[in-house]
Amino acid sequence: MNATAFYFESSMTQETTEIARGLRRRDPDLLDRLIEQYQHRLFRYLVHLTGRRELAEDLFQETWIRVLERGHQFNDKYAFSTWLFAVARNLAIDHMRRKQPASLDGLLNDGETPFDVPATGRASAFDMTVQREQTEQIAAGMQHLPAEYREALTLRFQEGMSLEEIASVVRVPLGTVKSRIYRGLSALEPWLKGMPS
Amino acid sequence: MNTDAHERARKLVALDGPDEVSGSDQVASNAWLRAHLETCDACRAFAGNAAETIRGLRAISLVAGRGLVSTTQTRVRRRALELQRHRERLWLVAVSCTAVTLCALLSTAALWRGFEWLGTRAHLAPSVWQVGFLVFCGMPAVVAGVLLLAKDTHLADHAGSYQG
Repeated sequence: MNATAFYFESSMTQETTEIARGLRRRDPDLLDRLIEQYQHRLFRYLVHLTGRRELAEDLFQETWIRVLERGHQFNDKYAFSTWLFAVARNLAIDHMRRKQPASLDGLLNDGETPFDVPATGRASAFDMTVQREQTEQIAAGMQHLPAEYREALTLRFQEGMSLEEIASVVRVPLGTVKSRIYRGLSALEPWLKGMPS
Repeated sequence: MNTDAHERARKLVALDGPDEVSGSDQVASNAWLRAHLETCDACRAFAGNAAETIRGLRAISLVAGRGLVSTTQTRVRRRALELQRHRERLWLVAVSCTAVTLCALLSTAALWRGFEWLGTRAHLAPSVWQVGFLVFCGMPAVVAGVLLLAKDTHLADHAGSYQG
């Protein structure tokens, strides 16, 4: 391992340990900082998981309350984001169970697209239009995927998590994670071409 | 080229490489994938589409609103305060219980000595003053129990009329 990699790894470990210590103390300043730091990532994950912006907003708040209450359960051997997403996921599943006895199957689309597609920078107007259209199509396609696939794709390609991290958030074997990513990506292919079945 | 090879190539493409396999296996897999994509148009097209899809996925913008963040921070701070107060109350109860237990132990020892001294002075058998000690110690609990049981009964109304 080179010196830079070692430096980053040790500073990450130190940061995780500090987070664990702060969570045990229920330090509100630390929580303020964590909410700021993870706001977009967590919100994006919840919107993709639930497919509903309003529900994602409720779960976002509940997740941080749960983080405050159960902070002592965070194990600093793992990344904080992995634990945070697992907490959010459990809350989403609990919410759906209260509504109907199902797991993620209940988290399906209701026709509304909760995504905003931004204009991409540094490209010609034509390229930007094409890319924007493609992104819109993919966003629409995401709404039609089963929640498990949406979740796997989000964690992998938006959050940049490793397969092992995804497996520990979702609590399924590594093979299942790989399969969900592959199938999810394959299912989005017709949407990219603008030919959804 | 068999179907397994295409399937393998597409999975490697979909999983975006890096941690699908590790170490020397990864190098070998990447080399195999490159060679496969050079010869297979269908898989190359899949790889191109996958890259576009992944780019599209990364371009989807979802931002938590400022209001949501500040509301969450306020709720978390309020809940933290509640939990802190709850913890302080629990601490107070624990300290009180400890103090009461210590006082009870000390007073019981002193009472025992007192009853022993009285029993000796009155030339009573030890069993007599010991029973007296037990009755004396148990009496507050018995009285409290009777009053609690008698609450909202004829007995309580009657007792109340005496006080009134």
